[in-house]
Amino acid sequence: MTTVLLLLLLAVGAYLVAVLEDWTVSGRFRLTAPVLAGIALLGRESIVPRKPDRIFFEVAPFLLLISAILAAAVVPLTPDLIITDMATGALFINAALVYVLVALLMAGWGPDGAYAMIGGWRFLGQLIAYAMLIVMPITAVVMRAESLLTTQVVVSQAGVWNIIYQPLGFILFFIAAMALAFLPPFDLTTSKGELAGGVEAEYAGVRLAVFRLGRLALIITLAAATVIFYLGGWQGPLLPPWAWSTIKILAVTTIMLLAGRYMPRIREADLLAWCWMLGIPLALLNILLVGVLVLVFP
Amino acid sequence: MITGARQGKPFALHRLLAAAMARDLGTFVIPGPDIARAHGLDIEAAGLHRVTSPRHASVLLVIGTVPPALCEAAAVIYAQMVRPRAIIALGTDELSPLPAADVMANLSQQALIKGVRELRSAFAEGAFYPEVSDFDAPVLQVRIEYTCPMHPEIVRDEPGSCPKCGMNLVLREAQAKAGHLHTDHQEMGANMDMETASTHAHGSHHSIDHGALVEYTCPMHPEVVQDEPGSCPKCGMDLVPRDAPPESSHEHHQMTHDEPVEYTCPMHPEVVQDEPGSCPKCGMDLVPRDALAESSHEHHHMTHDEPVESCPMHPEVVQDEPGSCPKCGMNLEPRETQNKQSHKHSGMDHNGMDSDMDHSSMDHGDMAFMSMIDVTKDLPRSGDGLPMEWIEAPFGPFFPGLPSGLLLTLTLDGDTVAGSNARSLIENRELLQSSSMDTGSFVEQLTSFDPLAPVTYRYLACRVLENIAGMDVSANTAYARIGALERERIASHLGWLALFAQQTGFDWLMRRTASLQLKFQHADLEQIVALKPAILTLTKRLQRTPLLKSRMAGVGLLATDATLRGPVARATGIGDDARSADKVCTTLGFKTVSRKTGDALARLHVRLDEIIHSLALIEAAGAIELPVPAIIGEISGTGEAVVETPRGVARLRLTLEMGKVTTAQLDTPSTHHLALINPLIEQQELGDALLAVSSLDLSPWEVRQ
Repeated sequence: MTTVLLLLLLAVGAYLVAVLEDWTVSGRFRLTAPVLAGIALLGRESIVPRKPDRIFFEVAPFLLLISAILAAAVVPLTPDLIITDMATGALFINAALVYVLVALLMAGWGPDGAYAMIGGWRFLGQLIAYAMLIVMPITAVVMRAESLLTTQVVVSQAGVWNIIYQPLGFILFFIAAMALAFLPPFDLTTSKGELAGGVEAEYAGVRLAVFRLGRLALIITLAAATVIFYLGGWQGPLLPPWAWSTIKILAVTTIMLLAGRYMPRIREADLLAWCWMLGIPLALLNILLVGVLVLVFP
Repeated sequence: MITGARQGKPFALHRLLAAAMARDLGTFVIPGPDIARAHGLDIEAAGLHRVTSPRHASVLLVIGTVPPALCEAAAVIYAQMVRPRAIIALGTDELSPLPAADVMANLSQQALIKGVRELRSAFAEGAFYPEVSDFDAPVLQVRIEYTCPMHPEIVRDEPGSCPKCGMNLVLREAQAKAGHLHTDHQEMGANMDMETASTHAHGSHHSIDHGALVEYTCPMHPEVVQDEPGSCPKCGMDLVPRDAPPESSHEHHQMTHDEPVEYTCPMHPEVVQDEPGSCPKCGMDLVPRDALAESSHEHHHMTHDEPVESCPMHPEVVQDEPGSCPKCGMNLEPRETQNKQSHKHSGMDHNGMDSDMDHSSMDHGDMAFMSMIDVTKDLPRSGDGLPMEWIEAPFGPFFPGLPSGLLLTLTLDGDTVAGSNARSLIENRELLQSSSMDTGSFVEQLTSFDPLAPVTYRYLACRVLENIAGMDVSANTAYARIGALERERIASHLGWLALFAQQTGFDWLMRRTASLQLKFQHADLEQIVALKPAILTLTKRLQRTPLLKSRMAGVGLLATDATLRGPVARATGIGDDARSADKVCTTLGFKTVSRKTGDALARLHVRLDEIIHSLALIEAAGAIELPVPAIIGEISGTGEAVVETPRGVARLRLTLEMGKVTTAQLDTPSTHHLALINPLIEQQELGDALLAVSSLDLSPWEVRQ
């Protein structure tokens, strides 16, 4: 029952992301636009390029969606509202989201077109940049919680939220999460101006609808992960837990969607260089600082 | 019913889908959003949303008269759009080979809005239809033919075996219209196919069986080169055609033992000896190397005598002695200098072509087994030393991040540009419609010559006519004309900013500048003064924008060069500006704006500074008035004039006979800048390369060769 409810909530979440994204792009708040766009995609032909790697081409959009759903399974919205409170939950989020890379590489390779293929390659480079910055801040978070249970991570923030306790980790995780969701300014893989859509360019109709749904689910899942790791999850005064979760997740999503509109796309070489030469030393420093804090204030 | 309806009966479900589709019209703009804005159209405000991939579009919006070459390319785009699809044409009914438009309207915003309304109802009613017909055009036709992988001169209409070597012939596609062209892109996705097909239609593709350019060589003995087919004097094999010139012929030559053979260590190329043995440094077995080939065509395999030192992360850092990289501090490593030159010889032009996209690659002929070192040793290398597959991809003529009409064909090594070919599909349009043209219609003709700078070219035409007639305009008129020129410069630079922002995904800047451009285009003096604070805010905001500097600094670096013009020249520190020689401009307080670094960032700053300076000039001029051609009577003579267009100096030379224009020569900045592209983007990462190209602010319309 919880599973069905949470899957429904994920769908509603993806829909709200679509509304928010439409608002950030067009400046208008239209609740119907994503529905119309979705139905319109279903009405259009979904053609297969002439010489595809058929399996890759067909599987990629679903894999993206499934990867996001798997990660969402360990995200608690209230103490009880979670699909599975896995003992390795915090690590599982990362493990599930690795398939985003696989999905995008397959979507790049599958249609056998140049723009898509380069988009896929670019995401591989992007993974090398962000991957460590997802795992290392999570390490510091679970150090404080002394548990990999995501519910426990939230409970550990009862006194001080992690965004205050380990701000450095929050910044790194937030940036890495945006890179993982290939949101601007990290949209190297689907860039419109450089690759005419990149890995999305060859998809149309139903397949494109699934791909886009997967992307929306990925964004909301990452926003939810940011909330449980750094913003105290469901905790907050007055309002019930589910309300706090909703407010926080939507706020994080909005910032994620807005940030990229006010800057140009990052250079691939800069992304790699900064993540490795700056990001990883900072992430190590963060682990060290949190370690000291945990020892000093047990 | 719309022409591109999807097959289906008008069931309730289909009606629902059609109604939703009518509300969500993804639009692909022909020739492009830059032209749409130049005509004062706001596509988003009309209720269409612009998409960048034809696959996501349901509407093809054609704006104004589109040159035939672009129409053909547009037909390819239309074929890539999925059904249901429709065409809306503004201000033109000449769309061939595209099907007739579903909605036609005038070239104005009101007409567009009305047209979109019509289109919506047509879509809602006719998106599905029980019987639909295929769209076909000559440019889309492909012909299946069969060829021998080893003997490309063998081409048959049916499968079979090669009469020369007995191998099975393999299928390939050629464009029916262009005849016998080498088109081995059958492995590409349809999008690519189609775009490549359009490239082929214009003959830009190097084909190995191009008539005039072909020479014949032996697959085993590359030093044997002759102009006609025949057999090799050394081994008797049939010669195969290849592209001239000779330096583009890095054939994958193989070991042959008729020639003197040298032996070298795969790891230590400096070890070379005449007989087999093991390497004195590492003990590995030496491998044979073709000594003759080495000397005859710059074998690019680790054999340079004087290694230069380079940073593994920053290939552009090169010095003669060991040391550390000034950018990242890594130790420099030796690399051989010939690398650079060897990239020009793309393996793609040669027989390896058909393997380039089907990921099986490494088609080196009849070798039974090769080690990885052998396999990759003759592949051209990029600056990072990684041998990757090379693909040829067209960017344009409707690429979202580039000026519309520009066709940039890139040979990509991974995501690094290994070679490029840039051309305008709308170059060399006739200046004179007939051998003698009356001056009034000539001025109109030049006004529509470049839709991105109509006022400037109109001014140029008027100036030449006045020079020939020896007439002068009053000071007030001259000032007011400068006002019009500077207004267009502001609009043009804003348009460039919008294109740059579109390419780099800087969404806020794109919307801001696009709307400002539309406001400036026809603004009067008061409106321009009122818009000034918005411009100042924009420039301030750009100075604080994160990532902007790191995105642009060092990209598209150009040294001071005589061929540079306009803002591109002024970004390298040249104070070249035709306005500084114009008394009217100097009276108004004109000063040249320039920067020194010569990269894309400097070009951005020059254009921003010029926008602000142009605002000051307009205020000083105190009026805005479009140039009106003078009535000069039936005079004869020759004269010329220059004008500083938003892209640099343009020069027009006219000959008049009895008041009629008989010859016209026009020299434009984009013509010169187009030739800069190849050296500018070689070995650049794709994103940097595209930024470098767009930072030149080319107008494909004004290119003349």
